[in-house]
Amino acid sequence: MNEVPPGRDEPDDVDELYRRASAGDDSRPSEWVRHAVLTHAAHLAAERARQTGHAGRAPRREVNQPWRRPAIFGTLAAAALAGLLVAPHFLPPPTPNVAMKSQAPATSAPTPDVRQYAAPPAARREAAAPPAAPSPAVPPQEAEQRSSGMLAEQRPPPAATADERKLAKAGASARNETTSPEAAASLAAKNAPAKLAGTVSAQREAAAPMADAAVRADPGARLRQAAETGDAPALQRVLDEQSDIDGRDDSGRTALLLAAQHGQDHAVEVLLAHGADPNAADSNGDTPLKAAIHGHRQAIAAALQRAGAR
Amino acid sequence: MTVTAQSDEELIERYGRGDAAAFETLYRRHEMRIWRYLQRYVNNRATADELMQEVWFAVARDAQRYEPSARFTTWLYTIAHNRMIDSVRKSRRQTSLEAIGYEAEPVVHQLTADPCAGPFAAAVARDQAGGLARALEKLPAEQREAFLLQTEGDLGVEEIAAITDSSFETTKSRLRYARTKLRELLKEYA
Repeated sequence: MNEVPPGRDEPDDVDELYRRASAGDDSRPSEWVRHAVLTHAAHLAAERARQTGHAGRAPRREVNQPWRRPAIFGTLAAAALAGLLVAPHFLPPPTPNVAMKSQAPATSAPTPDVRQYAAPPAARREAAAPPAAPSPAVPPQEAEQRSSGMLAEQRPPPAATADERKLAKAGASARNETTSPEAAASLAAKNAPAKLAGTVSAQREAAAPMADAAVRADPGARLRQAAETGDAPALQRVLDEQSDIDGRDDSGRTALLLAAQHGQDHAVEVLLAHGADPNAADSNGDTPLKAAIHGHRQAIAAALQRAGAR
Repeated sequence: MTVTAQSDEELIERYGRGDAAAFETLYRRHEMRIWRYLQRYVNNRATADELMQEVWFAVARDAQRYEPSARFTTWLYTIAHNRMIDSVRKSRRQTSLEAIGYEAEPVVHQLTADPCAGPFAAAVARDQAGGLARALEKLPAEQREAFLLQTEGDLGVEEIAAITDSSFETTKSRLRYARTKLRELLKEYA
Protein backbone atom coordinates (compact mmCIF):
# COMPACT_ATOMS: atom_id res chain seq x y z
CA MET A 1 0.00 0.00 0.00
CA ASN A 2 3.00 2.27 0.32
CA GLU A 3 4.12 2.11 -3.29
CA VAL A 4 4.25 5.26 -5.38
CA PRO A 5 0.70 5.95 -6.50
CA PRO A 6 -0.35 6.15 -10.14
CA GLY A 7 -0.19 9.60 -11.65
CA ARG A 8 3.12 10.46 -9.98
CA ASP A 9 5.67 11.75 -12.48
CA GLU A 10 9.09 10.21 -12.54
CA PRO A 11 11.58 12.04 -10.30
CA ASP A 12 13.35 14.74 -12.29
CA ASP A 13 16.11 17.31 -11.78
CA VAL A 14 13.85 19.47 -9.58
CA ASP A 15 13.38 16.55 -7.21
CA GLU A 16 17.12 16.11 -7.09
CA LEU A 17 17.68 19.83 -6.39
CA TYR A 18 14.97 19.78 -3.77
CA ARG A 19 16.44 16.76 -1.98
CA ARG A 20 19.94 18.20 -2.03
CA ALA A 21 18.79 21.54 -0.64
CA SER A 22 16.67 19.77 1.98
CA ALA A 23 19.72 17.93 3.27
CA GLY A 24 21.13 21.23 4.51
CA ASP A 25 17.92 22.23 6.26
CA ASP A 26 18.47 21.91 9.98
CA SER A 27 14.91 22.80 10.99
CA ARG A 28 12.93 20.18 12.80
CA PRO A 29 9.93 20.17 15.11
CA SER A 30 10.49 21.28 18.68
CA GLU A 31 11.11 18.59 21.24
CA TRP A 32 8.03 19.59 23.21
CA VAL A 33 5.87 18.75 20.21
CA ARG A 34 7.16 15.20 20.05
CA HIS A 35 6.83 14.85 23.80
CA ALA A 36 3.27 16.22 23.82
CA VAL A 37 2.17 14.09 20.86
CA LEU A 38 3.64 10.83 22.14
CA THR A 39 2.38 11.42 25.68
CA HIS A 40 -1.10 12.16 24.41
CA ALA A 41 -1.05 9.14 22.09
CA ALA A 42 0.16 6.85 24.87
CA HIS A 43 -2.57 8.11 27.14
CA LEU A 44 -5.24 7.38 24.53
CA ALA A 45 -3.71 3.98 23.80
CA ALA A 46 -3.83 3.06 27.49
CA GLU A 47 -7.49 4.03 27.59
CA ARG A 48 -8.27 1.97 24.52
CA ALA A 49 -6.33 -1.01 25.80
CA ARG A 50 -8.21 -0.83 29.09
CA GLN A 51 -11.54 -0.64 27.29
CA THR A 52 -10.65 -3.61 25.10
CA GLY A 53 -9.22 -5.71 27.93
CA HIS A 54 -11.79 -5.02 30.60
CA ALA A 55 -14.95 -4.52 28.61
CA GLY A 56 -17.00 -6.67 30.99
CA ARG A 57 -15.84 -4.98 34.17
CA ALA A 58 -17.01 -1.44 33.49
CA PRO A 59 -13.88 0.40 34.62
CA ARG A 60 -14.07 3.92 36.05
CA ARG A 61 -12.75 5.56 32.87
CA GLU A 62 -15.67 4.29 30.83
CA VAL A 63 -17.69 7.08 32.35
CA ASN A 64 -16.37 9.07 29.41
CA GLN A 65 -18.26 6.94 26.91
CA PRO A 66 -21.19 8.98 25.59
CA TRP A 67 -23.74 6.20 25.97
CA ARG A 68 -23.06 5.93 29.66
CA ARG A 69 -23.51 9.58 30.42
CA PRO A 70 -27.32 9.64 30.21
CA ALA A 71 -27.54 6.56 32.42
CA ILE A 72 -25.20 7.94 35.06
CA PHE A 73 -26.68 11.38 35.18
CA GLY A 74 -30.19 9.97 35.07
CA THR A 75 -29.37 7.91 38.16
CA LEU A 76 -27.80 10.91 39.84
CA ALA A 77 -30.80 13.09 39.05
CA ALA A 78 -33.14 10.43 40.45
CA ALA A 79 -31.03 10.19 43.61
CA ALA A 80 -31.13 13.97 43.93
CA LEU A 81 -34.92 13.94 43.60
CA ALA A 82 -35.19 11.23 46.21
CA GLY A 83 -32.88 13.25 48.45
CA LEU A 84 -35.13 16.28 48.16
CA LEU A 85 -38.19 14.26 49.02
CA VAL A 86 -36.54 12.54 51.98
CA ALA A 87 -34.65 15.50 53.45
CA PRO A 88 -37.70 17.50 54.63
CA HIS A 89 -38.87 14.55 56.71
CA PHE A 90 -35.75 14.76 58.85
CA LEU A 91 -36.16 18.46 59.51
CA PRO A 92 -37.99 19.79 62.58
CA PRO A 93 -41.56 20.72 61.71
CA PRO A 94 -42.05 24.43 60.98
CA THR A 95 -43.50 26.23 63.95
CA PRO A 96 -46.72 27.47 62.27
CA ASN A 97 -47.67 23.93 61.22
CA VAL A 98 -47.06 22.56 64.71
CA ALA A 99 -49.15 25.32 66.20
CA MET A 100 -51.94 24.62 63.75
CA LYS A 101 -51.79 20.94 64.62
CA SER A 102 -52.06 21.58 68.35
CA GLN A 103 -54.93 23.98 67.84
CA ALA A 104 -56.83 21.90 65.32
CA PRO A 105 -59.96 20.11 66.48
CA ALA A 106 -59.59 16.35 66.87
CA THR A 107 -62.35 15.67 64.38
CA SER A 108 -60.86 17.67 61.49
CA ALA A 109 -59.00 15.70 58.83
CA PRO A 110 -55.23 16.44 59.00
CA THR A 111 -53.49 17.80 55.89
CA PRO A 112 -50.91 15.49 54.27
CA ASP A 113 -48.12 17.61 55.76
CA VAL A 114 -49.44 17.30 59.26
CA ARG A 115 -49.89 13.55 58.82
CA GLN A 116 -46.28 13.17 57.85
CA TYR A 117 -45.00 15.20 60.79
CA ALA A 118 -47.19 13.20 63.13
CA ALA A 119 -45.96 9.86 61.82
CA PRO A 120 -43.01 8.09 63.52
CA PRO A 121 -39.59 8.30 61.77
CA ALA A 122 -39.77 4.73 60.41
CA ALA A 123 -43.12 5.41 58.80
CA ARG A 124 -41.71 8.61 57.28
CA ARG A 125 -38.88 6.71 55.68
CA GLU A 126 -41.29 4.14 54.26
CA ALA A 127 -43.48 6.88 52.87
CA ALA A 128 -40.49 8.43 51.13
CA ALA A 129 -39.13 5.17 49.72
CA PRO A 130 -41.18 4.71 46.49
CA PRO A 131 -39.96 7.87 44.70
CA ALA A 132 -36.36 6.60 45.01
CA ALA A 133 -36.88 4.21 42.06
CA PRO A 134 -34.62 5.73 39.39
CA SER A 135 -36.28 5.05 36.05
CA PRO A 136 -39.76 6.50 36.55
CA ALA A 137 -38.40 9.55 38.36
CA VAL A 138 -36.46 11.01 35.41
CA PRO A 139 -37.32 10.32 31.76
CA PRO A 140 -34.20 9.27 29.78
CA GLN A 141 -34.45 12.22 27.36
CA GLU A 142 -34.63 14.71 30.15
CA ALA A 143 -31.72 13.05 31.92
CA GLU A 144 -29.66 13.20 28.74
CA GLN A 145 -30.38 16.91 28.31
CA ARG A 146 -29.28 17.55 31.83
CA SER A 147 -26.16 15.49 31.52
CA SER A 148 -25.08 17.08 28.24
CA GLY A 149 -25.57 20.51 29.75
CA MET A 150 -23.33 19.64 32.62
CA LEU A 151 -20.62 18.08 30.51
CA ALA A 152 -20.37 21.16 28.39
CA GLU A 153 -19.71 23.25 31.45
CA GLN A 154 -17.55 21.08 33.66
CA ARG A 155 -14.16 19.58 32.98
CA PRO A 156 -12.89 16.99 33.57
CA PRO A 157 -15.88 14.61 33.54
CA PRO A 158 -14.81 12.42 36.51
CA ALA A 159 -14.57 15.50 38.75
CA ALA A 160 -18.03 16.60 37.63
CA THR A 161 -19.44 13.23 38.62
CA ALA A 162 -17.92 13.45 42.08
CA ASP A 163 -19.27 16.95 42.50
CA GLU A 164 -22.74 15.81 41.57
CA ARG A 165 -22.58 13.18 44.26
CA LYS A 166 -21.58 15.87 46.69
CA LEU A 167 -24.41 18.03 45.47
CA ALA A 168 -26.95 15.24 45.90
CA LYS A 169 -26.02 15.15 49.57
CA ALA A 170 -25.63 18.86 49.98
CA GLY A 171 -29.20 19.69 51.00
CA ALA A 172 -29.18 17.60 54.14
CA SER A 173 -25.55 18.02 55.03
CA ALA A 174 -25.66 21.80 54.75
CA ARG A 175 -28.64 21.94 57.07
CA ASN A 176 -26.91 19.61 59.50
CA GLU A 177 -23.80 21.84 59.30
CA THR A 178 -21.51 18.89 58.71
CA THR A 179 -20.10 20.02 55.33
CA SER A 180 -16.38 20.67 55.60
CA PRO A 181 -15.13 24.11 54.54
CA GLU A 182 -12.99 22.54 51.78
CA ALA A 183 -15.92 20.59 50.35
CA ALA A 184 -18.12 23.65 50.50
CA ALA A 185 -15.44 25.75 48.84
CA SER A 186 -15.11 23.10 46.14
CA LEU A 187 -18.85 23.20 45.55
CA ALA A 188 -18.88 26.97 45.31
CA ALA A 189 -15.92 26.99 42.94
CA LYS A 190 -17.93 25.08 40.37
CA ASN A 191 -20.49 26.97 38.36
CA ALA A 192 -24.09 26.34 39.35
CA PRO A 193 -25.56 24.90 36.15
CA ALA A 194 -29.00 26.34 35.58
CA LYS A 195 -29.78 23.40 33.32
CA LEU A 196 -29.98 20.98 36.22
CA ALA A 197 -33.29 19.78 37.52
CA GLY A 198 -35.05 21.97 40.03
CA THR A 199 -34.32 19.45 42.76
CA VAL A 200 -30.57 19.67 42.38
CA SER A 201 -30.79 23.45 42.00
CA ALA A 202 -32.68 23.67 45.25
CA GLN A 203 -30.05 21.64 47.04
CA ARG A 204 -27.28 23.64 45.46
CA GLU A 205 -28.98 26.84 46.58
CA ALA A 206 -29.14 25.48 50.09
CA ALA A 207 -25.38 24.77 50.01
CA ALA A 208 -24.35 27.96 48.23
CA PRO A 209 -24.37 30.42 51.14
CA MET A 210 -22.19 28.15 53.20
CA ALA A 211 -19.82 27.45 50.30
CA ASP A 212 -19.53 31.16 49.58
CA ALA A 213 -18.77 31.82 53.20
CA ALA A 214 -16.09 29.13 53.17
CA VAL A 215 -14.46 30.60 50.05
CA ARG A 216 -14.62 34.10 51.51
CA ALA A 217 -12.97 32.89 54.68
CA ASP A 218 -10.13 31.06 52.90
CA PRO A 219 -7.77 33.35 50.94
CA GLY A 220 -6.21 30.32 49.25
CA ALA A 221 -9.60 29.19 47.93
CA ARG A 222 -10.33 32.72 46.73
CA LEU A 223 -6.97 32.87 44.98
CA ARG A 224 -7.59 29.56 43.20
CA GLN A 225 -11.10 30.55 42.25
CA ALA A 226 -9.91 33.85 40.81
CA ALA A 227 -7.12 32.11 38.92
CA GLU A 228 -9.45 29.45 37.53
CA THR A 229 -12.02 31.97 36.34
CA GLY A 230 -9.49 34.58 35.22
CA ASP A 231 -10.99 37.21 37.53
CA ALA A 232 -8.09 39.69 37.40
CA PRO A 233 -9.34 42.23 39.99
CA ALA A 234 -10.13 39.47 42.50
CA LEU A 235 -6.77 37.85 41.81
CA GLN A 236 -4.96 41.10 42.47
CA ARG A 237 -6.94 41.70 45.67
CA VAL A 238 -6.06 38.30 47.10
CA LEU A 239 -2.43 38.65 46.10
CA ASP A 240 -2.33 42.03 47.84
CA GLU A 241 -3.42 40.25 51.01
CA GLN A 242 -0.20 38.24 50.85
CA SER A 243 -1.90 34.86 50.86
CA ASP A 244 0.11 31.71 50.10
CA ILE A 245 0.45 31.94 46.34
CA ASP A 246 1.25 28.24 46.08
CA GLY A 247 -1.57 27.09 48.35
CA ARG A 248 -3.24 23.89 47.18
CA ASP A 249 -6.76 22.50 47.01
CA ASP A 250 -7.84 18.95 47.88
CA SER A 251 -6.23 17.63 44.68
CA GLY A 252 -2.97 19.43 45.30
CA ARG A 253 -3.63 22.00 42.55
CA THR A 254 -2.13 25.45 42.91
CA ALA A 255 -3.70 28.62 41.54
CA LEU A 256 -1.13 28.60 38.74
CA LEU A 257 -2.02 25.06 37.70
CA LEU A 258 -5.73 25.90 37.67
CA ALA A 259 -5.09 29.02 35.62
CA ALA A 260 -3.00 27.01 33.14
CA GLN A 261 -5.64 24.27 32.93
CA HIS A 262 -8.38 26.79 32.18
CA GLY A 263 -6.41 28.85 29.70
CA GLN A 264 -6.32 32.00 31.83
CA ASP A 265 -3.35 33.69 30.16
CA HIS A 266 -3.50 36.87 32.18
CA ALA A 267 -3.88 35.06 35.49
CA VAL A 268 -0.83 32.93 34.63
CA GLU A 269 1.22 36.05 33.89
CA VAL A 270 0.12 37.73 37.13
CA LEU A 271 0.80 34.67 39.25
CA LEU A 272 4.24 34.16 37.70
CA ALA A 273 5.03 37.84 38.22
CA HIS A 274 4.18 37.36 41.90
CA GLY A 275 6.54 34.41 42.18
CA ALA A 276 4.22 31.41 41.84
CA ASP A 277 6.13 28.15 41.55
CA PRO A 278 5.97 27.16 37.83
CA ASN A 279 6.82 23.54 38.64
CA ALA A 280 4.33 22.88 41.44
CA ALA A 281 2.63 19.61 40.50
CA ASP A 282 -0.70 18.35 41.79
CA SER A 283 -1.24 14.98 43.45
CA ASN A 284 -1.33 13.30 40.02
CA GLY A 285 2.03 14.77 39.09
CA ASP A 286 0.53 17.23 36.57
CA THR A 287 2.47 20.47 36.33
CA PRO A 288 1.25 23.79 34.92
CA LEU A 289 3.40 23.25 31.81
CA LYS A 290 1.98 19.79 31.26
CA ALA A 291 -1.54 21.17 31.61
CA ALA A 292 -0.81 23.98 29.17
CA ILE A 293 0.63 21.62 26.57
CA HIS A 294 -2.21 19.16 27.02
CA GLY A 295 -4.73 21.96 26.55
CA HIS A 296 -2.94 23.42 23.51
CA ARG A 297 -2.27 26.64 25.44
CA GLN A 298 0.73 27.78 23.46
CA ALA A 299 1.13 31.25 24.98
CA ILE A 300 0.78 29.90 28.51
CA ALA A 301 3.32 27.16 27.83
CA ALA A 302 5.75 29.77 26.53
CA ALA A 303 5.22 32.01 29.57
CA LEU A 304 5.76 29.08 31.92
CA GLN A 305 8.92 28.06 30.13
CA ARG A 306 10.25 31.58 30.35
CA ALA A 307 9.60 31.37 34.10
CA GLY A 308 11.63 28.18 34.35
CA ALA A 309 8.95 25.50 34.03
CA ARG A 310 10.27 22.12 33.10
CA MET B 1 7.06 -9.45 12.63
CA THR B 2 8.71 -6.40 14.12
CA VAL B 3 6.76 -3.18 14.45
CA THR B 4 9.02 -1.27 12.09
CA ALA B 5 8.48 -3.76 9.24
CA GLN B 6 4.75 -3.13 9.24
CA SER B 7 2.90 -0.89 6.84
CA ASP B 8 1.44 2.44 7.92
CA GLU B 9 -2.03 1.01 7.62
CA GLU B 10 -1.26 -1.91 9.92
CA LEU B 11 0.36 0.40 12.44
CA ILE B 12 -2.55 2.80 12.65
CA GLU B 13 -4.95 -0.10 13.08
CA ARG B 14 -2.79 -1.51 15.85
CA TYR B 15 -2.74 1.87 17.53
CA GLY B 16 -6.51 2.02 17.27
CA ARG B 17 -6.57 -1.14 19.36
CA GLY B 18 -4.36 0.44 22.03
CA ASP B 19 -0.77 -0.25 20.91
CA ALA B 20 1.19 2.92 21.77
CA ALA B 21 4.44 1.57 20.26
CA ALA B 22 2.76 1.37 16.87
CA PHE B 23 1.90 5.05 17.03
CA GLU B 24 5.43 6.03 17.97
CA THR B 25 6.80 4.11 14.99
CA LEU B 26 4.29 5.80 12.73
CA TYR B 27 5.12 9.21 14.14
CA ARG B 28 8.86 8.79 13.73
CA ARG B 29 8.38 7.44 10.22
CA HIS B 30 6.47 10.52 9.06
CA GLU B 31 7.70 13.15 11.49
CA MET B 32 10.19 14.97 9.28
CA ARG B 33 8.15 14.78 6.08
CA ILE B 34 5.01 16.16 7.60
CA TRP B 35 7.09 18.78 9.42
CA ARG B 36 8.71 19.94 6.20
CA TYR B 37 5.34 20.07 4.48
CA LEU B 38 3.91 22.25 7.24
CA GLN B 39 6.96 24.38 7.90
CA ARG B 40 7.72 25.07 4.26
CA TYR B 41 4.14 26.01 3.56
CA VAL B 42 3.54 28.38 6.49
CA ASN B 43 7.21 29.45 6.71
CA ASN B 44 6.87 30.05 10.42
CA ARG B 45 8.45 27.75 12.94
CA ALA B 46 6.10 28.40 15.86
CA THR B 47 3.01 27.96 13.69
CA ALA B 48 4.45 24.79 12.19
CA ASP B 49 5.05 23.42 15.70
CA GLU B 50 1.47 24.15 16.65
CA LEU B 51 0.15 22.58 13.49
CA MET B 52 2.37 19.56 13.94
CA GLN B 53 0.89 18.96 17.35
CA GLU B 54 -2.66 19.51 16.14
CA VAL B 55 -2.23 17.13 13.23
CA TRP B 56 -0.84 14.29 15.32
CA PHE B 57 -3.34 14.83 18.11
CA ALA B 58 -6.05 14.45 15.47
CA VAL B 59 -4.40 11.30 14.13
CA ALA B 60 -4.27 9.83 17.64
CA ARG B 61 -7.84 10.80 18.41
CA ASP B 62 -9.35 9.57 15.16
CA ALA B 63 -7.24 6.44 14.72
CA GLN B 64 -10.22 4.19 15.34
CA ARG B 65 -12.12 5.94 12.55
CA TYR B 66 -9.40 5.34 9.99
CA GLU B 67 -10.59 3.16 7.13
CA PRO B 68 -7.99 0.91 5.51
CA SER B 69 -9.53 1.54 2.09
CA ALA B 70 -7.56 4.81 1.93
CA ARG B 71 -3.80 5.07 2.16
CA PHE B 72 -2.65 6.25 5.55
CA THR B 73 -0.48 8.93 3.92
CA THR B 74 -3.47 10.37 2.08
CA TRP B 75 -5.44 10.47 5.31
CA LEU B 76 -2.54 12.04 7.19
CA TYR B 77 -1.94 14.78 4.63
CA THR B 78 -5.64 15.48 4.37
CA ILE B 79 -5.69 16.17 8.10
CA ALA B 80 -2.56 18.31 7.75
CA HIS B 81 -3.99 20.24 4.81
CA ASN B 82 -7.23 20.99 6.67
CA ARG B 83 -5.40 22.13 9.80
CA MET B 84 -3.13 24.31 7.73
CA ILE B 85 -5.98 26.00 5.91
CA ASP B 86 -7.70 26.68 9.24
CA SER B 87 -4.49 28.15 10.57
CA VAL B 88 -3.98 30.37 7.55
CA ARG B 89 -7.53 31.67 7.86
CA LYS B 90 -7.02 32.31 11.56
CA SER B 91 -3.71 34.07 11.04
CA ARG B 92 -5.42 36.54 8.74
CA ARG B 93 -7.45 37.66 11.73
CA GLN B 94 -4.83 37.36 14.45
CA THR B 95 -1.34 38.58 15.05
CA SER B 96 1.19 35.79 14.69
CA LEU B 97 2.72 34.33 17.83
CA GLU B 98 6.18 35.40 16.75
CA ALA B 99 5.02 38.96 16.24
CA ILE B 100 3.87 39.17 19.86
CA GLY B 101 7.16 37.82 21.14
CA TYR B 102 6.43 34.12 21.39
CA GLU B 103 9.54 32.07 21.44
CA ALA B 104 9.52 28.36 21.06
CA GLU B 105 11.06 26.27 23.78
CA PRO B 106 14.83 26.35 23.59
CA VAL B 107 15.10 23.16 21.68
CA VAL B 108 17.95 20.81 21.06
CA HIS B 109 18.56 22.21 17.62
CA GLN B 110 20.94 19.83 15.92
CA LEU B 111 22.34 20.49 12.52
CA THR B 112 21.56 17.78 10.07
CA ALA B 113 24.68 18.61 8.12
CA ASP B 114 27.47 16.24 9.02
CA PRO B 115 29.82 18.08 11.42
CA CYS B 116 32.70 15.94 10.22
CA ALA B 117 32.30 17.40 6.75
CA GLY B 118 33.77 20.68 7.98
CA PRO B 119 32.47 24.24 8.29
CA PHE B 120 32.58 24.96 4.55
CA ALA B 121 30.34 22.04 3.63
CA ALA B 122 27.96 22.92 6.46
CA ALA B 123 27.78 26.54 5.26
CA VAL B 124 27.06 25.39 1.70
CA ALA B 125 24.32 23.09 2.95
CA ARG B 126 22.70 25.91 4.95
CA ASP B 127 22.93 28.22 1.96
CA GLN B 128 21.16 25.66 -0.21
CA ALA B 129 18.46 25.18 2.41
CA GLY B 130 17.96 28.93 2.61
CA GLY B 131 17.74 29.13 -1.17
CA LEU B 132 15.11 26.43 -1.20
CA ALA B 133 13.04 28.22 1.44
CA ARG B 134 13.20 31.48 -0.56
CA ALA B 135 12.34 29.69 -3.80
CA LEU B 136 9.32 27.99 -2.25
CA GLU B 137 8.15 31.27 -0.83
CA LYS B 138 8.09 32.76 -4.31
CA LEU B 139 5.61 30.16 -5.51
CA PRO B 140 1.89 30.87 -5.27
CA ALA B 141 0.41 29.08 -2.24
CA GLU B 142 -1.54 26.54 -4.31
CA GLN B 143 1.50 25.59 -6.39
CA ARG B 144 3.69 25.40 -3.30
CA GLU B 145 1.28 23.11 -1.53
CA ALA B 146 0.78 20.85 -4.53
CA PHE B 147 4.54 20.52 -4.93
CA LEU B 148 5.10 19.82 -1.21
CA LEU B 149 2.33 17.22 -1.16
CA GLN B 150 3.97 15.51 -4.10
CA THR B 151 7.55 15.60 -2.83
CA GLU B 152 7.05 15.20 0.92
CA GLY B 153 3.82 13.25 0.93
CA ASP B 154 4.79 11.17 -2.08
CA LEU B 155 1.25 11.59 -3.32
CA GLY B 156 -0.09 11.26 -6.83
CA VAL B 157 -1.90 13.94 -8.81
CA GLU B 158 -5.29 12.40 -8.10
CA GLU B 159 -4.65 12.29 -4.39
CA ILE B 160 -3.39 15.87 -4.32
CA ALA B 161 -6.44 16.97 -6.28
CA ALA B 162 -8.71 15.24 -3.77
CA ILE B 163 -6.92 16.70 -0.75
CA THR B 164 -6.88 20.26 -2.07
CA ASP B 165 -10.37 19.98 -3.49
CA SER B 166 -9.21 20.82 -7.01
CA SER B 167 -9.65 19.19 -10.38
CA PHE B 168 -7.10 16.76 -11.80
CA GLU B 169 -6.13 19.14 -14.61
CA THR B 170 -5.76 22.14 -12.29
CA THR B 171 -3.53 20.15 -9.97
CA LYS B 172 -1.42 18.88 -12.83
CA SER B 173 -1.03 22.41 -14.09
CA ARG B 174 -0.03 23.70 -10.65
CA LEU B 175 2.63 21.02 -10.39
CA ARG B 176 3.99 21.81 -13.81
CA TYR B 177 4.26 25.56 -13.08
CA ALA B 178 5.80 24.89 -9.66
CA ARG B 179 8.48 22.64 -11.12
CA THR B 180 9.30 25.04 -13.93
CA LYS B 181 9.69 27.92 -11.53
CA LEU B 182 11.72 25.95 -9.00
CA ARG B 183 14.05 24.70 -11.71
CA GLU B 184 14.74 28.29 -12.61
CA LEU B 185 15.14 29.49 -9.03
CA LEU B 186 17.34 26.61 -7.90
CA LYS B 187 19.61 26.38 -10.94
CA GLU B 188 22.45 28.13 -9.11
CA TYR B 189 22.59 25.15 -6.74
CA ALA B 190 22.63 22.57 -9.52
